[in-house]
Amino acid sequence: MRIVTMDPDSCVACRNCEYACAFKQAQTFERRDSNIRVNFYPEERVCIPGTCVHCEEPWCLEVCPAAAIRRSPDTGAVEIDPERCAGCKMCLLACPFGAIRFDARARVARKCDLCGGDPRCVKFCISGALQYVETEEAFGFRRASFDAHLMQMFGKGDQP
Amino acid sequence: MSQTRQVFQTLCRMCDDHCAINVYMEEGRVVDIDGYAEHPWNRGRLCSKGRAAVDLVYHPDRLWKPLKRTPSGWQEIPLEQALDEIAGKLASIRDAHGARSIGVWKGEAVGFAQQEDLARRFAHAIGSPNYFSNDSMCFNGRWIGYSTVHGAWSVPDYENTRLVLMWGANPPHAHPNMTQMIMRARRRGGKLIVLDPRLSAVARQADLHAPIRPGTDGALAWGLIRALLERGAYDRELVANHSVGFPQMQAYAERFTPEYVEGETGVPASLVGEIAAALAKAAPAVVNYVGNGLEHHENGINNIRAVAYLDTLLGALDRKGGNRLAEGFLTNRLTLYQERPLTELEPIGAERFPVLYGMRQECHTMTALEAILSGRPYPLKAMVLTAANPAMTNPNSEKVRRAFGALELFVVRDLFLTETAQLAHYVLPAASFLERSELHAHAMFQVVTLTRKLLSFPGVQDEYQFWHDLAHRLGAGAYFPWKNEEELTRWLLEPSGLTLEQLAAHPEGYPYRPVRYEKWREKPLRTPSGKVEFTSQYLKDLGYPELAEYKPPSYLSSPDPEYPFVLVTGARKLLFYHSRFQNIERFARAGRNPEMEMHPADAARLALSDGDRVRVSSRVGTIELPVTVTAPNEIPPRTVQITHGYRQANVNLLTPDDVFDPISGFPLMKALPVKVERLGTEVTPRSTMP
Repeated sequence: MRIVTMDPDSCVACRNCEYACAFKQAQTFERRDSNIRVNFYPEERVCIPGTCVHCEEPWCLEVCPAAAIRRSPDTGAVEIDPERCAGCKMCLLACPFGAIRFDARARVARKCDLCGGDPRCVKFCISGALQYVETEEAFGFRRASFDAHLMQMFGKGDQP
Repeated sequence: MSQTRQVFQTLCRMCDDHCAINVYMEEGRVVDIDGYAEHPWNRGRLCSKGRAAVDLVYHPDRLWKPLKRTPSGWQEIPLEQALDEIAGKLASIRDAHGARSIGVWKGEAVGFAQQEDLARRFAHAIGSPNYFSNDSMCFNGRWIGYSTVHGAWSVPDYENTRLVLMWGANPPHAHPNMTQMIMRARRRGGKLIVLDPRLSAVARQADLHAPIRPGTDGALAWGLIRALLERGAYDRELVANHSVGFPQMQAYAERFTPEYVEGETGVPASLVGEIAAALAKAAPAVVNYVGNGLEHHENGINNIRAVAYLDTLLGALDRKGGNRLAEGFLTNRLTLYQERPLTELEPIGAERFPVLYGMRQECHTMTALEAILSGRPYPLKAMVLTAANPAMTNPNSEKVRRAFGALELFVVRDLFLTETAQLAHYVLPAASFLERSELHAHAMFQVVTLTRKLLSFPGVQDEYQFWHDLAHRLGAGAYFPWKNEEELTRWLLEPSGLTLEQLAAHPEGYPYRPVRYEKWREKPLRTPSGKVEFTSQYLKDLGYPELAEYKPPSYLSSPDPEYPFVLVTGARKLLFYHSRFQNIERFARAGRNPEMEMHPADAARLALSDGDRVRVSSRVGTIELPVTVTAPNEIPPRTVQITHGYRQANVNLLTPDDVFDPISGFPLMKALPVKVERLGTEVTPRSTMP
């Protein structure tokens, strides 16, 4: 199973991911149509991308009274079936990351479905903050950064 | 997915980054675009502009037929008739006023590679020395600044760097693909320092962001030079064996104490020391990168030169992780400057800005517009302009319109009826980048890629065909002997020993030469002395200071109380490329477009709320637009920013076309005294594009 990992230390809040997702979802560039959202806090200079991490025990799936949320056998993505969604919004309440949005026009809940295994947000992420990786390797970039730090500490190699 | 879906690789040309893309086609029609993973340049990542090429190519407003201005409006005419009429008029203007009364003007809406040299070739082939382009206000300033010091404009070696020092550059919006390189460097433990009045997108991730006053970069660069010399932290081998003018530089640097630098730049004295210490620690693996932000100032070139000096002191010049001297891809030469230099015909601007012409063979557009109106130094009567939009992008737009309106013949080729095209006598449809094939070298990786022609539309010519057809009608056909673009590219490739077929088989880029460092050990630099030139005899002989002397911008040295704000123009927006793509509806709706950025304290003083409309005036003109009140750290007080390219509020109605950097002739566009008035309370919706 692969997921989209998010690195707030690389994100520049350029919003390409939001545009790419909104375009895939609704052919628009409007943030409300995007399943990934970047929050930018200018005074703190913090950029935080946020989308679904497809929990192993998804509370959204458990709470859904319409059984509209299921795990895709192909990608492992936790997906909402808009045909079954009753619009009760309990999944929005249940998600601890705020990764589910309500589409007020279609009156259904929406969330990331990993674009069927080829997430557009990652392809259009120009900073590399988003990566589509096997869960076993998720956040491996943190280890790589730490390794680089150690190597610098011990003065190994001429590369940072 | 349709069974007929096919995928082809080529390079994007929605901006100058040239990212490798997959183009998905169904039944001869482009249906989708995404990044191509195998090319080293962008590794499969792409910005939103790239995908929008689909919208661009099939845009309902695209031009498909030549248009002729008539008293009753635009009339569609056949291509051959248009070319015949244009050639006929050019010939009679040439007979009446001489070939130099015809100018050729290159823009960037359709390409960036061979397109430029074809335009240069055409001008000289028909006997005119007057080639103009957008480059008399972009790119050439940095090229000149760096080249007078190093003999070349180096490329950043992000993939191996320990510290990126960015001066007035915002890659996420201007060169999106550099962003991933910078962030990879940071993940390896590299640092990022951003010098920019604004908290730009890249500054959001900076380890240190110093909001420097517009136009004062030279003072900070000299302050860093002084601090490095004081610490003895400079590359003695490079300085001793490969430079000229070190003692003069050392003496001049003395006055740039941290306190003086703080007074000029607003960057605290302690920070100057901190940045110098970070540079010394990371040296020589320092990318010292200058963006367009430094070019549009009264002292722009010398500010850039002073920044370039740092490369040598840090030993970053052509070193791993530093600023590398790229080796170009050798092709046959399209320009005719050796065969037909035509300098005796007095290229427009060559006398006034001899460096711009001497180093770049670039005539000066602002002088050209003046010449059209005044007839001096000689009449400029016709202009053939391809895919530029100076009515929006040159300073003093009102005068630009007047000048083009005064031409006897104005021909514009473009994808759209732009603000400039609307002034033309003839408008010809141009081919987009998906409708032609050309060579592009990514100097950073030293790979060359052949772009792929994927579409063609009847009656829409590529660049080569247009110049070819016009030249043949004007008796200059001998200079355009190739049957078509493909033949031309074969000829260009001759010295490389490569074939079109070989390149076509390498959509991931063909490595034309392995990347090497420290080439200054083997061969002289391409400066007159062959060494790094802290002092330039070339500039001195032309009457300029030999050192990169610092001069404070006039809004600081002689402030005008009538215009209390300093206006920065041209900060890039992700979704637009200068004046382009505003006609893609979802782009225009993606944020508050246009807007003026303003500090909250200034907004409070003028009783302005976010979204209120303001009137902004300079001594040149006035525009009205909504204000975006930023966070207090996003723009300094007394500084406002307006991006160029908006037809609803064209900021170049405010910019002057008579204040220039004395060396490059670049116009002052980024430190402009203006006043701001409140216009009532009509509110525009909140910006969604911070």
